[in-house]
Amino acid sequence: MKPTPSRLLLAHRQIPHFSPPRTIRWRNNATLSPSSSTINQDEIAHFSKLSSQWWDEKGEFGMLHSMNPIRMEFVRNKLVEIAQEDSSPDVEVDGSKVFHGLNVLDVGCGGGLLSESLTRMGANTLGIDASGSNIAIASHHALQDPLLLSNSPTGKGKGKLTYQHTSVEDLLSKRGPESFDVVCSMEVLEHVDNPRSFLDSCARLVKPGGHLFLSTISRTPLAYFLTIFAAENLFRLVEPGTHTHSKFVNPQELIEFFAQYRSSPPPALSHSPPYPPSSLESTQNEETTKSRPWITKLNAQGVPSRLEAETRGIMYLPWRSEWVLAPRGGGVGGLVGDVKKLTELCNYMFWVRKPQKE
Amino acid sequence: MLTTTSSHVLNNARRCCSSSRLVRLISTSTEQKDVVIVGGGPAGLAFAAALGSSKVVSENLRITLIEAGDLSKTKAWTQPEGTFSNRVSSITNSSRGFLEDIGAWSLVDQGRTCSIEEMQIWDGVSDARITFSASDSMFPGGRPRELSRLTENLNLQRALLHQLASNPSVELADKVKVESITREENSEDSIGGGWPLVHLSDGRTIRARLLVGADGFNSPVRKYAGIQSYGWAYDTHGVVGTLFHEPRGPYMPPNTIAYQRFLPTGPIAFLPLSETASSMVWSTKPYLASALKSLDPAVLACMINAAFRLPEVSVRYLHTRILEAAKAGTPLSLKQVREEIEFRERSHDISTRSAYSSLSLTNSSGIPPEDADSLPPLVTGIQPGSVASFPLRFSHAESYIGEGAGSRTVLLGDAAHTTHPLAGQGLNMGLGDAESLSKCIHNAVLRGGDIGSYSSLAPYPLERYFENHKLLAAVDKLHKLYSFTAEPVVWARSVGVEVLNELDTVKTAMMMQAGSHRNMPRPGRVGIDVATNGLEMFASGLNTARSIGEGAVGILGAVVKQLVNPTVRRK
Repeated sequence: MKPTPSRLLLAHRQIPHFSPPRTIRWRNNATLSPSSSTINQDEIAHFSKLSSQWWDEKGEFGMLHSMNPIRMEFVRNKLVEIAQEDSSPDVEVDGSKVFHGLNVLDVGCGGGLLSESLTRMGANTLGIDASGSNIAIASHHALQDPLLLSNSPTGKGKGKLTYQHTSVEDLLSKRGPESFDVVCSMEVLEHVDNPRSFLDSCARLVKPGGHLFLSTISRTPLAYFLTIFAAENLFRLVEPGTHTHSKFVNPQELIEFFAQYRSSPPPALSHSPPYPPSSLESTQNEETTKSRPWITKLNAQGVPSRLEAETRGIMYLPWRSEWVLAPRGGGVGGLVGDVKKLTELCNYMFWVRKPQKE
Repeated sequence: MLTTTSSHVLNNARRCCSSSRLVRLISTSTEQKDVVIVGGGPAGLAFAAALGSSKVVSENLRITLIEAGDLSKTKAWTQPEGTFSNRVSSITNSSRGFLEDIGAWSLVDQGRTCSIEEMQIWDGVSDARITFSASDSMFPGGRPRELSRLTENLNLQRALLHQLASNPSVELADKVKVESITREENSEDSIGGGWPLVHLSDGRTIRARLLVGADGFNSPVRKYAGIQSYGWAYDTHGVVGTLFHEPRGPYMPPNTIAYQRFLPTGPIAFLPLSETASSMVWSTKPYLASALKSLDPAVLACMINAAFRLPEVSVRYLHTRILEAAKAGTPLSLKQVREEIEFRERSHDISTRSAYSSLSLTNSSGIPPEDADSLPPLVTGIQPGSVASFPLRFSHAESYIGEGAGSRTVLLGDAAHTTHPLAGQGLNMGLGDAESLSKCIHNAVLRGGDIGSYSSLAPYPLERYFENHKLLAAVDKLHKLYSFTAEPVVWARSVGVEVLNELDTVKTAMMMQAGSHRNMPRPGRVGIDVATNGLEMFASGLNTARSIGEGAVGILGAVVKQLVNPTVRRK
């Protein structure tokens, strides 16, 4: 199908809205009430409409299917790296077992692409999504796979897979903070209404010493060109209307957010109403009672320590129909400075670790 | 394990997809397997063994191999010393590296294999000759000992079965036929389901996450997958047999040189198995193949010797003679054939002391005639019962992965491609497939992927399809080119203009060393660094070859020398 002229025009009109790279432009919604969620109803309607196509590997979500293996690779390698760091040097961490027994939350699980993979790797996975039809599709699809079924002999040693139709805010108020070893939210941040509040809810759900993984898209002209102009309008690889450029988030913005972000005090010490979504202001007000920020130091290029946080570009190579993970920054053979930034101009992965309890 | 906390969601899922029927289907008569391999030939067994050798794969996946034949016979296969099975393959160093990695090569009976150190190939019409030698090939860490290792297929299959016996994660179901393959009743939507159900002759039904077709040219798995295969039958049959001969004399190199002469009817190849036995693959027209097969073994031995030695016009004449005699119902006697050959040799001025004489049978202990190492030893006998023939064809599946209604299927080995045996690459391609696909599955498991999904399998054709196609096409072109007798074509192929690219492709496939195009990061084995290094070494080796230009016949000859480093001899 060819894009209609009007859509092309509409898309072009968005170009002047580009903000210069590295300018922090959080759309902080002043009218937020404590109970409101970050869910955008239009986005939910969009994905509900497409939900039956989640598992067509050549369909609307084909790009996500081909992206999934490298997302998993990034998550696995990071968990291995940190587990290796935490254990004695003579123990070699087995990458195939690093997920075993972990409680993992997949926020915005969609059809369950990532949730199923996490479960196969041995994680006890909870997939949540704001779209009920996504959850129905994900639940149904998992029924087909005996590795994911409880009564199957192969189910032993595998993780437990659960899906729930809820928002991250509701889950936080129901489960309480520090419930998960790992919280993942892949290709979701660019669809939510209030990214600060969303990140805060995700971060609160992580146990101390646990991990938060994100994948999202940079707010750059290149990302506009590739993800909206080319992928949606020109080649129709992705349904038009899937992405909104102004919602994209730059890697540096995430790093700066977590360089300021401090975890709330443990719930037992707090008498405030249960876990309202915090804004930056409230974070700063309670600063004295809180622990260190999640990211404590940045080098001259603004790159955090690899033990605190990491960003990695991911790129689609059309001639191989394959996604690849950019080589990691710094160190021998790694990318430095501007080259690293070039790889993160479009899609990228983000990881940050919650500080251990002091 | 799957639980859904939101009950309306689960109901919703049930309603829309009749999953209760599905659950019943899975839980009653159907077994569940992650990998079902159909076919227990060398490629299928190697693939199963490769999967079993990966700790991650064998801990996480349940694997079944189905074979209609009796694998216990293959596992217990023995053959008296000095005799050989007629199906042999030239295992390249690259394939051998893979077999070593999976722990199968050490189980091959090395005493029954033969090192090939050199390969001589010449044009039946013009006698232009090229030589590949182990010392030409470049690989990191010095010269390899050999170009390849001639191995009986059964020797390899037996080794793979022993490797598999020590690995309980792979179930071998032999003496069982695949009755049919059906697609699991799908739900009304495209959310999932549609897994292949493999119905076996013993009543079992296996629901396969991934169905692997290693089931040969007429692959039922390929038919189920709906994958088209294009290609054509060559108007050619391959006649195979085990040949006996005198050992090479004391002034001669040992029997480690493979010979192949391209006759217009097809190439005849001589492949060493031991000092006194070698294997033959004679590709020729089907009517000639059946005439050759029905010959008295002593007469056939004379025909083989003549086919390597006499000028093409006389070889053609001899073929006419045996065809006429067969038609008349009065097959040629040994005496008649020897007289015919004697006459032709005399008229071509071939001295009985020459290496090109089939009749000299000179004492092997004497000083060998000039050019003796340009020709295989004279065949003195043929192992009884070893002569057989089979049709040759070119085919390549249009895809290696099934999609849509044929999803969760993948092809390897002869199910994906068949080739002319002239480059000896059929089995090597199958082993290359087995290595690549097993690596792909290993990686998918490490990323939590559904190994039956297209996304998990996609790297496999990316790595293999073009690689195989290049080689299939090169072999196909060589076969066709050498069937011409027209002067310009013969001239062009003799000086190398026409065949440069094809020879380079074939040569690369034959001589690539472990670690140069193989980059499987198995624990403790060659990694990507070594692989890159290997390619650099290969490139620099070609530069070295480029400098050996002197003595070439004209500019075209020099070009040939630069690229394939052959020895061009005009007789």
